[in-house]
Amino acid sequence: MDVVMPQLGETVAEGTVMVWHKKVGEQVEADELLFEVGTDKVETEIPSVVSGIMVEIFVAEGETVDVGTRLAIIDDGNLVTNRSAPKAIKNKTAKVAFVSAERMENSAPRDKSLSPVVRKLLSEHGIDASEISGSGDSQRVTRRDVMSYLETRGGDVSQIVSAGDLTQVIPFSRHRRLTAEHMVRSKATSAHVLQAVEVDFYHVDKARDVKQISWQAKEGFTLTYLPFIAKAVCQAMSEFPHLNSHVDGDSLVVHANVHLAIAVDLNFEGLLTPVIHNANLKTITELARSIHDMATRARDRKLGPDDLSGASYTLSNSGSFGTLITAPIISQPQVAILSIDGVTKKPVVVTGANGDEIGIRPIGILAQSFDHRAIDGAYSAAFLRKIKAILETQDWLAELT
Amino acid sequence: MAELTYREAIAAAIAQEMTRDERVVFLGEDIAGAGGVFKTTVGLLDKFGAERVRNTPISEQAILGAAMGAAMTGLRPIAEIMFSDFFAVCWDIIANEIAKVRYMTNGQITVPLVVRTANGGGSRFGAQHSQSVENWAMAVPGLKVVAPSNPADAFGLLAAAIRDPDPVIFFEHKSLYATKGEVPDDEHVDIIGTAKVLRDGTDVTILALAAMVPKALEAAERLALEDGLSAMVVDVRSLVPLDTQTILATVQKTGRLVTVEENPRLCGWGAEIASIVADECFHDLDGPIVRITTPHIPLPSADNLEDATLPNVERIVATIRARID
Amino acid sequence: MVSSSKKKHATALTSEIRANDDIGEKVRLALFRSQYEIRQLEKRAYDMFLQNMVKGTSHLAIGQEAIAAGFAVAMHADDYTYCTYRGHAHTLARGASMLGILGELMGRECGLLGGKGGSMHLTSVEHGAMGSYAIIGSHLTIAVGAAWSAKYRGTDQVAVCFFGDGTTNIGAFHEAINLAAVWKLPVVFVCENNLYMEYTPIGDVTAVEHPAADRASAYGLESIIVDGNDADAVYRVAQTAFARARGGEGPSLIEAKTYRHGGHSRADPGTYRPKEEVEAWLKRDPIPMYRQRLIDFGIVEEVIDTIQADIDNAVDQATEVAKASPAPSLDVIETDVWADGSSSWRN
Repeated sequence: MDVVMPQLGETVAEGTVMVWHKKVGEQVEADELLFEVGTDKVETEIPSVVSGIMVEIFVAEGETVDVGTRLAIIDDGNLVTNRSAPKAIKNKTAKVAFVSAERMENSAPRDKSLSPVVRKLLSEHGIDASEISGSGDSQRVTRRDVMSYLETRGGDVSQIVSAGDLTQVIPFSRHRRLTAEHMVRSKATSAHVLQAVEVDFYHVDKARDVKQISWQAKEGFTLTYLPFIAKAVCQAMSEFPHLNSHVDGDSLVVHANVHLAIAVDLNFEGLLTPVIHNANLKTITELARSIHDMATRARDRKLGPDDLSGASYTLSNSGSFGTLITAPIISQPQVAILSIDGVTKKPVVVTGANGDEIGIRPIGILAQSFDHRAIDGAYSAAFLRKIKAILETQDWLAELT
Repeated sequence: MAELTYREAIAAAIAQEMTRDERVVFLGEDIAGAGGVFKTTVGLLDKFGAERVRNTPISEQAILGAAMGAAMTGLRPIAEIMFSDFFAVCWDIIANEIAKVRYMTNGQITVPLVVRTANGGGSRFGAQHSQSVENWAMAVPGLKVVAPSNPADAFGLLAAAIRDPDPVIFFEHKSLYATKGEVPDDEHVDIIGTAKVLRDGTDVTILALAAMVPKALEAAERLALEDGLSAMVVDVRSLVPLDTQTILATVQKTGRLVTVEENPRLCGWGAEIASIVADECFHDLDGPIVRITTPHIPLPSADNLEDATLPNVERIVATIRARID
Repeated sequence: MVSSSKKKHATALTSEIRANDDIGEKVRLALFRSQYEIRQLEKRAYDMFLQNMVKGTSHLAIGQEAIAAGFAVAMHADDYTYCTYRGHAHTLARGASMLGILGELMGRECGLLGGKGGSMHLTSVEHGAMGSYAIIGSHLTIAVGAAWSAKYRGTDQVAVCFFGDGTTNIGAFHEAINLAAVWKLPVVFVCENNLYMEYTPIGDVTAVEHPAADRASAYGLESIIVDGNDADAVYRVAQTAFARARGGEGPSLIEAKTYRHGGHSRADPGTYRPKEEVEAWLKRDPIPMYRQRLIDFGIVEEVIDTIQADIDNAVDQATEVAKASPAPSLDVIETDVWADGSSSWRN
């Protein structure tokens, strides 16, 4: 039979053969002292379990081996069956044959829902999940997928699927779908009324002409009509605060400051409306900078949640396309929205020192959609008249210095 | 640096502190001449004498009560409870007295003591001598709870525990006593309340404690080799105070959290941390938090049964493979 | 009107006893003060309970004053007292303020424990009152630790541990006394046997007649029984035990026979005790007995009346101040779990 290293003491893992009291070939009697083992500072005498002849010694004096290691073989008449004794029993980690019946580690339902961090990233960057291909379980979009997408950037917004003949079926992207829902809901909620004024941008143009070159050199972008209109709107709002509000049941909640949303088109792929908070506290220069900054970040998809929320009034600018007039849809829960259309040179009647004459002036239409639940036509008209007056008579040069 | 076994590190830390501060005294069953049933306190009687290293009767309540009485009157006792399972015998002293007396007396009494104990399974001792009960201590306000995974930490954290003015329950793992590691030669004290990142990674954070730490590290190596998965392994080391900041930071980095706990399923230490992460790191999570634990049963004694029941490397690897994508 | 024959007898008795007086007037006055203070404070606590100003639970020691007083007067200022939740008496006897005690019972900011501990945990470390403990038996082991600490530090401090008859049957009692005896520690274990373990006669649940004294031999200790209603007897027994402890001879276990006038706690009217038994013990009320003792030893009644009046005033004062004291600020809730005053478990 095999002589193995015994475990002498709880948590002892190995032992040293100190002395063999029997040599190979010697007769051994049961209970006779066979060898001595040392563990830490303890030495223990080990008697033989069987009687027989010492056949082989595998571990010499002074050697340290793990508990369970075969040290020697004694031929006690049962040698044949013991010759191929199993290897020393070590505390191996068991294979995972046992899986607990308790519903625990491996029993999670698989689904494609977006994880919290993925939702956060998508929202931050204004991406739709359908834009990203998922590499996780069940093709879910993982955090890594979003990060890779953001790095490479580009990619399709909507998938174009050919349907056989020349018609194209373009499924709505998530953004499109959301816009559609919002627009229809807005029309169903507010009693939209369109009201417009023609504005003579002569004085604004004069200021722009004077300032344009130095402005561009200093700010790095063009001074457009938009900051002037934004300024005029904010100024007029102080006299007509009900337009800077929202409807809450049977009440009108009027905001203290003007949080101006500026609609920005993203290359015909969607609309974003970044918000300039407390626009009424800004100078025209500051407004121009804010507008430019917002538009740039919108196109670069670098807007945060704060940048897209909290608006109290909206400006929608189609002017660069030279439109005549637009009836914009109010962005809920606001009560009005102003469309800025094309400014073109027109012949108009100018009253001068010599009476009425025909002159050539840059004329543009400002068209406001207002919610008749909250506002009446006269109030809106007065507001527009005020804006027109500001644009046409304010000392813009002074404001731009 | 010297290479010491975990058990030698324990004795060395106690010796360091008893040399440094004569108020440190030590009591327990068989700790003196015998050097402790796990041989963790060999040599202390010779070095410090029978007045400072005292054998007690089998009287767990008296051992801890005496430690508390001595701690509240100027000494710095270390009490040993042989097997952490025996806490159930003297839990009154720990939970009702030691943990609460400072609060109840409005700060009049302070209890600077350490209760050391041999915790955990893997040694085939059967259900009443193999439990991991650090989660019991975590659940009682007023106790600091420490569980080192290697000799250097055992040394440094025990020294810190002895110097701590508050009660510290120090969970040594009986299956780690023979493990070896490098321990600094000079006077050395660690900081309680700090976790350690043992392995950096980007795909998943694995939190582990005591004997689960080497298993987690081994699993991480295999996952890297076989699956190309990059796992961060964090040794929690201290349940109270808990190094929440480090844990949250690692989850923010990897987006996934797995705990490896030796406690039975319900109310294991990982459940509390999972709750904290779900609350404070929700928006950084890329998937559910996974806990790998012992099932909610008493521990069986046969080799193969115990090995299969406690979390092992194979099960850790398989679970992470299945749940982390 | 005292008859002349009675007067003569009292004088003869008094002069004989006075000649062999080992206690002395100073100590006797202290013993009386202590007992009377405890009585008046406990009665006030009971009154406050009836007026719903003392909340939670309270365990009064009315009837058992002689034990607390006898030991307290015999103790040195730096000795340690450990007692149970029936601890108002012991805490007061060591010198804690009435205001602190009443305030704590009423849950006020001025309470001894700031309102955080309550009636069952009265502690005043500066007076050596190392805590009142509400889990039966645990504090015996803690007192052993304090005694060990004193011996280790080489001081002559003694730890005195008070508990009831019911405690003698719980495990911690046996562990503590055994360890104290084996390590020869300076701890005095005092069993206040008031014959009832909560609502049950102690004899019904104990294997021996004298629950503490009959167990002493199991730990190699002398069996000591004392009349717990006679402060002089208690004082003498205490002195002997302290001399033994300070002399390095180890612990003592003392059983003091006494009786509580009220129920186990304020919620208990004590109707489970036989009427005759209650009446017999009320006749042995320690306060009037000790008042007579003072007179027997020649102390003028006016002196005693003055002592009583002073204490009555003090109790009234403390009551008024406590009543006017605010509840503790909510800010204290998360303080003093740890030695640095904080309570945080995480960063």
